[in-house]
Amino acid sequence: MDTSDQKNLERRVFTSFFQAGFIEAFTGIFLLQLGFPALFSRSGFGDWESALLTLPIALILLIVVFLVRKFVIIPRLGRVKFLPERRRKISKLIIVPILTLIAGAIVGYIFSENASLRHIFVGQIPFILVPIIVFGAAAYFLDMKRLYVYGAVVGLVFPLGKYLETVIVSRNTLPATILFTAFVFLGMATVFLVAFLRKYQEPRV
Amino acid sequence: MKELENQGKKQTTDSLSEIMNIDRLVHSPARLSILTYLSVVEEGDAVYLLNQTGLTWGNLSANITRLQEAGYIEVVKEFKDKKPHTLLKLTDRGRKAFHDYQNKMRGLLDVQTDRVNNMDNCDTSGARESC
Repeated sequence: MDTSDQKNLERRVFTSFFQAGFIEAFTGIFLLQLGFPALFSRSGFGDWESALLTLPIALILLIVVFLVRKFVIIPRLGRVKFLPERRRKISKLIIVPILTLIAGAIVGYIFSENASLRHIFVGQIPFILVPIIVFGAAAYFLDMKRLYVYGAVVGLVFPLGKYLETVIVSRNTLPATILFTAFVFLGMATVFLVAFLRKYQEPRV
Repeated sequence: MKELENQGKKQTTDSLSEIMNIDRLVHSPARLSILTYLSVVEEGDAVYLLNQTGLTWGNLSANITRLQEAGYIEVVKEFKDKKPHTLLKLTDRGRKAFHDYQNKMRGLLDVQTDRVNNMDNCDTSGARESC
């Protein structure tokens, strides 16, 4: 087994820890956080009220996901400390969203100062670019090709919703598109989790 | 031609002596599998190995003991959430033994592949005299 074989094996072992739908659940929750505020704000709630109403839903779901991971998935897969190279990649991945947010804030500030550019920044571009950058970075650093697809899907949801809004004239088309995609991801997460539970039994010593 | 035949015989003898020098502790499929999966992580627990190698608890436990006795792996028994938890780590000695085994096997396979290729070339060219 040469170095490339060992790298492939390491990648396979690492990705096996994400086969239970953790990433899909996380993506679904991320989309819910976009979809529910859009739905609430179009139902007459203010922006802050919409965000505050969504927060508990997202928090509860996130807690559920982490509890499932801690008490259901990890006991079945075992605990592993990966090699320093892999840990470095993961820490780089954490930096990317932070840098994206900082860059977004700077660009947003510059654009908001310029009236002719303002409509671009508050429009669709951040909703397309941010998921593509974050998911692209995750795909690259975690060696998981499917995350490129997820990034493209999440990045396209917002413009698709906007487009469908022009075709199906309804004020709820955009949130419905985002929420539909969110539930698709949550559904995928559930299917992956069920398949995982069928494959792996909790070991008895 | 005799020279080539002698060279071939010498190669076979060298290969055989190399085979005899293979670390038998590593060579067993179960132990090789354990070492392989431990070589791609810094440390992992018994459940991780159980899932990845597909061995039974008894088989895994017996082979872990043998590798531990040889000083190839380090076993730490601890309690996590009031449950026993066995953590395994490849030692420097184990890592070296694993890499030596890999290199030896690769060398042996390369020699054998070359020999087979040479024989194939001789068969296809039909020039028996040059072989």
